Amino acid sequence: MKKSLAKLLLSASAMVFVLVLMTGCKKLIIKETTTEDVNIVGYLDKNLDSFSLFRQILERTETAAYLNAYGAYTLFAPTNSGVRAYLPKIGATSVETADIAVLKDMVRFHLLEDTVTTGAFTDGKLPVITQYGQYLITSVGQKAGASTYLINRQAFDIQPDVRVGNGIIHVIDNVLIAPKLTVAKALEANPNYSIFTQALKETGYFDLLNIDKNPDPSKRWLTVLAESNQVLADSGITSYAQLKAKYSKTGNPKLITDSLNLYCAYHILSGIKFLGDIIIATSHTTLAPQEVVSSKLENQEVLINDDVFNGVLEPGVTLKRPTSDVASNNGVIHDASAHFTLKYRKPTAVFWDCSDFTEIRKLPAYFRKQNYNFVKANDVDFPIKDIIWPMGAANGTSTLQYSFSTASSITNFACNADVNILPLGAPNRPFWVDYRTPTIIKGRYKVWVGYRAQKQSSSSNMQCNVLIDGVTMQRPFNFTEVRPNGTDGELESIGWKRYTENTSTNWAARLVGTVDILTTERHMLRINSINGTQNNNNLDMIHFIPVDEPQVLPRFKPDGSKLFL
Amino acid sequence: MKKIIIKCTCFLVLATGFSSCNKWLDLKPQNGIVREDFWKTKEQVAAAVTGIYASLLSSPTATSTTINTTDRALAEYLWVWGEARADMATPGIFISPEELEMVNVNMLPTNSLVNWRALYRTINYCNTVIQLAPEVLALDPTFTQGQLDAAVSEALAIRALMYFYLVRSWGDVPLKLDATISDQDIVPIPKTGQDSVLNQIVADLKKAETGAVFTYGNKAFDKGRVTKYTVNAILADVYLWMEKYPESVAECNKIINSNQFGLLEGNASWFNNLYAVGNSNESIFEFQFDVQKLNPFYRMFVQTRRWQSSFRVLEDMYTVDLVDDTKKDIRAEGSALRAADATIWKFVASDFNSLKSLDQSYTHWFVYRYADILLMKAEALNQIGMGADALALVYQVRTRAAALVATDLNPSPTDKNGIADFILEERAREFAFEGKRWYDVLRNAKRNNYERASILYDVVANSVPSDRQQAALNKYKDKNSHYFPIFVYEMQTNKQLIQNPFYK
Repeated sequence: MKKSLAKLLLSASAMVFVLVLMTGCKKLIIKETTTEDVNIVGYLDKNLDSFSLFRQILERTETAAYLNAYGAYTLFAPTNSGVRAYLPKIGATSVETADIAVLKDMVRFHLLEDTVTTGAFTDGKLPVITQYGQYLITSVGQKAGASTYLINRQAFDIQPDVRVGNGIIHVIDNVLIAPKLTVAKALEANPNYSIFTQALKETGYFDLLNIDKNPDPSKRWLTVLAESNQVLADSGITSYAQLKAKYSKTGNPKLITDSLNLYCAYHILSGIKFLGDIIIATSHTTLAPQEVVSSKLENQEVLINDDVFNGVLEPGVTLKRPTSDVASNNGVIHDASAHFTLKYRKPTAVFWDCSDFTEIRKLPAYFRKQNYNFVKANDVDFPIKDIIWPMGAANGTSTLQYSFSTASSITNFACNADVNILPLGAPNRPFWVDYRTPTIIKGRYKVWVGYRAQKQSSSSNMQCNVLIDGVTMQRPFNFTEVRPNGTDGELESIGWKRYTENTSTNWAARLVGTVDILTTERHMLRINSINGTQNNNNLDMIHFIPVDEPQVLPRFKPDGSKLFL
Repeated sequence: MKKIIIKCTCFLVLATGFSSCNKWLDLKPQNGIVREDFWKTKEQVAAAVTGIYASLLSSPTATSTTINTTDRALAEYLWVWGEARADMATPGIFISPEELEMVNVNMLPTNSLVNWRALYRTINYCNTVIQLAPEVLALDPTFTQGQLDAAVSEALAIRALMYFYLVRSWGDVPLKLDATISDQDIVPIPKTGQDSVLNQIVADLKKAETGAVFTYGNKAFDKGRVTKYTVNAILADVYLWMEKYPESVAECNKIINSNQFGLLEGNASWFNNLYAVGNSNESIFEFQFDVQKLNPFYRMFVQTRRWQSSFRVLEDMYTVDLVDDTKKDIRAEGSALRAADATIWKFVASDFNSLKSLDQSYTHWFVYRYADILLMKAEALNQIGMGADALALVYQVRTRAAALVATDLNPSPTDKNGIADFILEERAREFAFEGKRWYDVLRNAKRNNYERASILYDVVANSVPSDRQQAALNKYKDKNSHYFPIFVYEMQTNKQLIQNPFYK
């Protein structure tokens, strides 16, 4: 009994001791978070005096929870004053009374599913589409004398690039409003485009431009280069009747062969292209079959169809910046400063001297005076803009030599007495070379490659394919092969011709095939080595001659002039 | 007995212990020299002044003769600040993201290219000399007042030059005129207005002019250290920036009338003498890189090509005579650039067609040349209505360079804006890639309260990638954007600083 009592006492005191010990312990606070950074909603909560209304909208549209979860978003967060100005526009007196569907769309239009900082802002659209399904455009405007980013031309980015845990917030001073009209309706709503709009209606393109979210992905977004009534009047067209009389030759503008139909089709580009997007490409396909508009930026002007044809500059048409970049829900409208349409151009022969390119012209001490080596130093080095070749494995093979001499037998009878010499062939030399051609009018051409035949050694061989825009031509040619003997007629029948004044068989032009040039623009021509390898590939000229024209003449003299006998 | 032994040992230990303490408690560094032991002799003053010039060559954290990669050399900063935003240099294939952001007019305070540490480091070296060198006068009887004045003048002039770069690049900057010698001296200081800084620069230069020497009796010293003419050149430039034209003309005249300088003849050895070798008769002040301290340009333009010449430089600025190749501007192909691949040639070549090797890449950085004096004088003369005299100076520079007729704008002597444009274009040709273009453009654009802001916009329209052009132009309509943001590190460590409002 005594023993058990002692035991009880002992265990009781032990318990008390443990209890006392435990209460005496300070609670250890273990930090379980790795960062104090807030997420998007957390940031809004921290700044409720600016964002209480937008926060309310997130709550009502049930987007708050997922915007506070893991992810990578960009949110354009409008301040309270912006939301207050917005509510009357949607006919609501408060966030609680606003139409929930409208609010959901509004939130989606302010949200990108990627992180986009001001570094990615250009003159055009943002690289990422909003969750609403329409692009935002950026620019820079003046707010109280200070330059500030402008989003969608509607709101200033008053606090850009706020980094939060799950993305980026841009604080904006107004709510962004997505365009509701289609391109067609937007044109119709603008009385300045009444003649152009009527032409679109008569040709059927109005309906195409009026489809919101077209299931055909190639027509989901369209860009219209519209001509205002004023622009048409400048060209003497003051009514739709006059426009129709001028172009519609079949009497039925709905026919795709009708010129009025083509006129309208030529003013519609596929894809959504703001001015900032138009200037970064050199040409854009239109809805007119196989017709492109070319584009460029000259000083600050966006010019279309400003091109050189056969050495003659055809001045282009400016797209007016202030009235262009009008966004709609299925595309964008630009305002052309002059009347333009597609031109029918008869296919014209191009006698292209390959060794006449911008970079060598800039060197007057060398151009048509002496040799010059264009050394490609590494994979990303492109010494000539319009002639591109890969690195050769062996040292010194990646150099294109501009070779000129009136004395050397390699160049003395070439057109302008100059050729391009580039090593080619597997395994140690560049495998191919790409040339950007001069502008070729669309049509069907025979293609002749003119070269000075040469063998580096007696066993050398250099057979090449020609590819135009990636399509292999029917027949290869060989830089080491001399021209056979025979009359012009005999030679042409077997795909050869003498293109130089000199009659040596070293000067050879090989017919590599017939090509359909689909669009009137500059094309890519590749010479692809398929058999053999050597250094001495002396390329002089490439001829594109319409199939229905005589193929043999003219020949070329060493001074570059043409010879018709 | 035992006790006595113990006591004795204790005493001995204590005695020997204390006697050796003298050295032991001495806290002076073993491998360096502290201020209290320095600043005793005139040789030490001279060494400190030399240190100022050395700091112009190396990057702030560089410790050896090799180019340190942790920060950029001052000359690289000066080049980027003067060229990246202007229209003559364009990004090469190895351009860094930060450099590209500057080209795109997308500057942020986190961009380390706006770190001004390199400038303030040199300023502190100058401040140290200005503050401590006078004490040596009492300690070293062989140190004369004249020698002291010369040393202080060099420091004042270099400090003024550094502040001039700061003011032109950032606008308002902290004005620190006393040396940071110990940790107690590190105190946050606010920005000082651009005008006050410029006034301080002028005051410093005026003081430096009286003390500076005419010559060190040695050509390399005369071109690499501050002389009276260096001070005059900086002052002429500063006055031009402050739109004080008669004063600028007066400073230019001091240099021109000294007859110590002239334009090198534009012959076959012109490029080699002026640029590749340096210290020519045309030079006034250069950063003298040498075999032991190479310039940063080989890496920038050749090795990893981060910058290259814009195609405009040859085609629009110098132009090419396509008919007669004997007619060429000597400053163009083979001088400013190599046309075939648009390499920026001036700092990496030994003559018009040979590239230097990396270990020979010590072409100097040219702060002022005689041609600069002539064109600065022309600019100032034009502003005070002496157009004909201004044009004569421009043609003097053009004749030496065999400039092409196509670039002769031929303005009438009364056409002030026409002449100003002509001078600006001529400066672009003469000082291509010498880090002056942006400042030239900004100076001309901001004149008379941005009377001709369009000059700046035209330059920007040509330099910014086409898809960002309009955004860049609109940003530049805010004149605060013409100046850099303060680097984020400075903002964090100096709470007194206020960020440039454009970048808030």
